[in-house]
Amino acid sequence: MASLSLKHIEKIYENGYHAVHDFNLEVEDKEFIIFVGPSGCGKSTTLRMIAGLEDISEGEFLIDGVKMNDVEPKDRDIAMVFQSYALYPHMTVRDNMGFALKLRKVPQAEIDAKVDEVAKILDLEKFLDRKPKALSGGQRQRVAMGRAIVRQPKVFLMDEPLSNLDAKLRVQMRTEIAKLHERLGTTIIYVTHDQTEAMTLGTRIVVMKDGLVQQINSPEHLYNKPCNLFVAGFIGSPQMNFLDAVVEKKGNDTFLDIAGFPIKLPADKAEALKGYEGKTVIAGIRPEHLLDGRGKEKDFVTIKAPIEVRELLGAEAYLYFTLGGKQCTARVASDVDLYVGMEGTMALDLNKLQLFDKETEQSLLWKEW
Amino acid sequence: MNRNTFSYKLKQVLMFAGPGTILFFCVVVVPFVYGLYLTFTSWDGVSPNKPFVGFENYVAAFQDSAYWIALGRTAIYSIFAVVFINVLAFALAYLVTSGVKGQNFFRAGFFVPNLIGGIVLGYIWKFVFNRAYVALASAIAGGQVASPLSTTGGAMFCLIFVSVWQYAGYMMLIYVAGFMSVSDSLKEAAMIDGCTPSQAMRNVTIPLMRSSFVQCIFLSITRCFVVYDVNLSLTKGEPFGTSVMAAMHVYNTAFTYKKYGLGQAEALILFLVCAIVGVTQVVIGKKGEVEA
Repeated sequence: MASLSLKHIEKIYENGYHAVHDFNLEVEDKEFIIFVGPSGCGKSTTLRMIAGLEDISEGEFLIDGVKMNDVEPKDRDIAMVFQSYALYPHMTVRDNMGFALKLRKVPQAEIDAKVDEVAKILDLEKFLDRKPKALSGGQRQRVAMGRAIVRQPKVFLMDEPLSNLDAKLRVQMRTEIAKLHERLGTTIIYVTHDQTEAMTLGTRIVVMKDGLVQQINSPEHLYNKPCNLFVAGFIGSPQMNFLDAVVEKKGNDTFLDIAGFPIKLPADKAEALKGYEGKTVIAGIRPEHLLDGRGKEKDFVTIKAPIEVRELLGAEAYLYFTLGGKQCTARVASDVDLYVGMEGTMALDLNKLQLFDKETEQSLLWKEW
Repeated sequence: MNRNTFSYKLKQVLMFAGPGTILFFCVVVVPFVYGLYLTFTSWDGVSPNKPFVGFENYVAAFQDSAYWIALGRTAIYSIFAVVFINVLAFALAYLVTSGVKGQNFFRAGFFVPNLIGGIVLGYIWKFVFNRAYVALASAIAGGQVASPLSTTGGAMFCLIFVSVWQYAGYMMLIYVAGFMSVSDSLKEAAMIDGCTPSQAMRNVTIPLMRSSFVQCIFLSITRCFVVYDVNLSLTKGEPFGTSVMAAMHVYNTAFTYKKYGLGQAEALILFLVCAIVGVTQVVIGKKGEVEA
């Protein structure tokens, strides 16, 4: 396995389009790195530069300290799982999995042994003589994984490998990939636009937008300490509620006026708002940190708003309401008896409140990446 | 409206399949059956009488050594032409899909010879071989150089050359479609698996273009076996009848020598040979064919 180093990587296409700006990342051995972001953010382009399928316009890319910028993909000792799986349709599953070893002139007996071993891990033994056309989406995905594993490469690259699967299979395969990472102890770089995949699989997540890295950290850190408005909104589902809030100072206390509700801030939050008195900031609160506030008025700050939509998801329900002209969501247990038309009382968990500068959209609470 | 009645279904079939079926029947089935009937007559192509002679024309066709020589010559011409047409077409298709600048211009340019009719093409190249080539070669050699069309081997070479010129652009388009049907991710997967460009071509691209090969080889075989227009305008069967192809022999028998029944029987044999070769190739080629 291997460590990777990406230093000041830039990607500028011939037509002048700047796809990736100053990308820096150090990947330790056995890490599971996730590149996440909306379409067109440059995550797949960065992965393809690592694979050698795209030229690096500027910067340095190293594997185990060796510069790889001009090394052919076949000589980088990497394996890639494509979004479309990219299985060779004219070859059987066995031939697909053993193709890379065959090209390296590995003896046939050894190829067969390795393919059999990996097929056993991935439960593909029954399908080895079939062609990809005769396999289901999930089986094809496993073959694509198997093709990569058989080679025992230094790095695994995965470009949205689950996006072609249905929701149920995606969840199943997600856990399979997590188990494989545990079992093989490999360095994996995984691209997805699905924040749930990112949160559940990654040891570290790289959040990207418009070719720029927004934040790199562990899933927990990104969830609890987003460095800007984009990361706060992208990580977490349903997304964080954002509300305009005016900062007011009354004596020694700092208040936030959110849609007419004065909210007294705890000391650490108040400290972050020094110099913002009289200004408007953005307050962010996740749907799961808005609780059913009835009977909790003494212990929590509460706000009231009529419930407009209720979505039942089984164990939990989403309540939608409007506050200060902004659509808000609360995630409550499904047995909470708040229904459409009722006046909802929501308790805010102020310890979880996020604050952002309205101009720069940077967090006022967390400075580190 | 009840859509399960027989009359409703019959109307539907007639409406959708009727016009095409009638047209196909009139322009393909009827002429074919009538042509088959004529092979059993000694019709001269002009007379109102068509005396029935049974299998006499087939016996005569099998005894017509000039026909079998022409058919053998056609087979040799076809083998060379089919190979060169497809090799050149594949190479051109590779060139115009490799991202070379002006590739759309080249695609159109290589296709143009196919737009010129065989007769016109034959006369153009006849001028080139008889006049331009002779003048140029004579000037270079410092003496009179004969036209390649005046020698037996030269005439055959010219026929093959012009056919390749005519059909390579058309076949190129089919190969271009084949190249474009192989997804980029498969080529990239091959590169990451360790393929050199030539290995990727051999192991991934070519196997996935099998249907293009089957179509192009079938089309070129069937076209070469029945070549007539270029044969007529370029060599007219000369020198000394050594470049007479099977179709020209059939034409001469039917219309020049006024033996329409015999000519028709020889045409039917040519059709069967052509169909057997073409269909066999398709059946073999289709085995193991997969979608890219």
